Amino acid sequence: MTITTNVAPKYHEKEFSRRPATSTHEAILTLATGTVLAGLGLWRRGWLGTTLAAGGSYLLYCGVRDFHRPYQGRVRVGFTIAKDPQEVYDFASNPQNWARFMHAVQVKNRGESKFALSMGKPAGIDLESNVEITDQKSGEYIAWASAEQMFEHRGVIHFKKAPGDRGTEVAVAAEYKAPAGPIAKALTSLVGWDPEQVVRESLRHLKQLLEAGEIPTTTGQPAGGRGVRGAAMRVMFREGPSEDAVEQNRMAGD
Amino acid sequence: MKALCWQGRTKVGVEHVDDPSILNPRDAIIRITRTAICGSDLHLYDGYIPTMEPGDILGHEFMGEVVDTGSEVKKLKNGDRVIVPFTISCGQCYFCKNQLWSACDNTNPNAWMCEKMYGFSASALFGYSHMMGGYAGGQAQFARVPFADVGCLPVPEGVEDEKVLFLSDIFPTGYMAAENCDIKPGHVVAIWGCGPVGQFAIRSAFLLGAERVIAIDRFPERLKMARAGGAEILNYQEVDDLVEELKWMTGGRGPDAGIDAVGLEGHGVGMMAAYDYSKQRMKVGFDRPLVLRQVIRACRKGGTVSIPGLYGGILDKMPFGAGFNKGLIFKMGQTHMHRYMAPLLKRVHDGEIDPSFVITHRLSLDEAPEAYKTFRDKQDECIKVVLDPWREAKAA
Repeated sequence: MTITTNVAPKYHEKEFSRRPATSTHEAILTLATGTVLAGLGLWRRGWLGTTLAAGGSYLLYCGVRDFHRPYQGRVRVGFTIAKDPQEVYDFASNPQNWARFMHAVQVKNRGESKFALSMGKPAGIDLESNVEITDQKSGEYIAWASAEQMFEHRGVIHFKKAPGDRGTEVAVAAEYKAPAGPIAKALTSLVGWDPEQVVRESLRHLKQLLEAGEIPTTTGQPAGGRGVRGAAMRVMFREGPSEDAVEQNRMAGD
Repeated sequence: MKALCWQGRTKVGVEHVDDPSILNPRDAIIRITRTAICGSDLHLYDGYIPTMEPGDILGHEFMGEVVDTGSEVKKLKNGDRVIVPFTISCGQCYFCKNQLWSACDNTNPNAWMCEKMYGFSASALFGYSHMMGGYAGGQAQFARVPFADVGCLPVPEGVEDEKVLFLSDIFPTGYMAAENCDIKPGHVVAIWGCGPVGQFAIRSAFLLGAERVIAIDRFPERLKMARAGGAEILNYQEVDDLVEELKWMTGGRGPDAGIDAVGLEGHGVGMMAAYDYSKQRMKVGFDRPLVLRQVIRACRKGGTVSIPGLYGGILDKMPFGAGFNKGLIFKMGQTHMHRYMAPLLKRVHDGEIDPSFVITHRLSLDEAPEAYKTFRDKQDECIKVVLDPWREAKAA
């Protein structure tokens, strides 16, 4: 059984890049070796020197190129939900429910099977990714892929009957690439989450909604003075006291 | 309202904070009439539990009157007098449905924190660090109780608060510890730690049919209370080798089951104790499992080690070889409160046991910070502190 997750042919673009991504450590090692060799070569002169310099500069070029290789990641998260696969599928596949359980991501409908995933506007940068549902089968799976190459991601959600009478195993397998490593890393630090966290917390919220009927929270509960560190953290995470404020009714006691 | 807040290591204080409000449809607001300080609160006080923030409201043993309910609360109504269990359970997940209430999947909003540390998240707790949910606790005048229909146990008229308060934590904890020992007629149960949980474990062991209970501690007032519950007492500071002493007391067999009601702040002397203390100081060890090592060595072959005592990290130097060789059974975990609250309330109502025996100090909320120190250092013959959050402190 093949599930289609490639949307590129529709846009006449290259498929998910098949070049393997290099890790940052390898890139740094390459750069360092290149610098050392090039330096050595330029210092020594002569035939050996020229060879070393040539080799060194090639490694330098590789190192710089590696830093711009696609940043690649994989997400695999599973949760078991105590409801039948069809019921979970119907709830999860309905775009009207997405705002209720998706974490840190808003979804806007852009037409048939087309959606825009928005991660808000952290630090003034508009983060949006166009996404298409590429394949789905009721009660079994939904597959999606991003429709542009700026931030490539694709994945599948499976709904499988869990062993015994435990309900449904919901499994998400996804992979993502961003064209420049540093940019993707900056992305996660800007919005304060990484893709695995988004997927995992969204699935957890889905489970909590379907089983318990509500998502547990402590936002808005009372607390004592948070002190200097607490105030600093509020500034760092850009939480204002008004953001969590809930209309409090003064009760007897104070 | 007034609430007791964690302010730092060995620092708690009463602060004026906002009243709680309904945040989710299954919440209820309780006006707290009685609350207590638990031995596990001392781990928070001493700074052993991570993910605490200054301003966190402590307390997980409380009861009171319902003053507000969310739109989906069907069983409770304003005015009901209820006991609130310290674990929060949704009632709908696999674990709740299979009576494993303290393993609930759906009540911890910070489940990712717990998963980082333990791989999985159990149910949330009141007032016990952000890793365990970050819920505001019950050493206050009001509290918000999530999934109120599932948790809150209504109390019949005519039963005083003090008799039923401990159904919120320590009585079911001691009872589950004894039940986990799988006690059969003729069994001998040894209980390390005669704090409040140990005291209830002693009485529960007899309720469950044990023939003899051996209670181990070093504080005279705790041993005295243990003896009043029918146990034979053993002061470990007066014997050379506790394990040998227990063998002597049980005809060379060892006790049929051992209960570790001490947990991570085990006290001891000698080389092993010094080793554990120094590791904890240097933050390379989380727990001091001195007692657990003794329990494993002392239990008879094929016996059960029951662990209600709290542990948090990775244990070191455990005599697991002895455990394997003897074929021991280990049972542990946070109490599955919702299993025990109603049956134990019935026992209290029928007069089988009066849990208020364990109270030694009755104070106001303002006196609580001092009481933490008194409780921790076992001064003034302190065994259990109960607080009335509406009482004014007596003039000095």
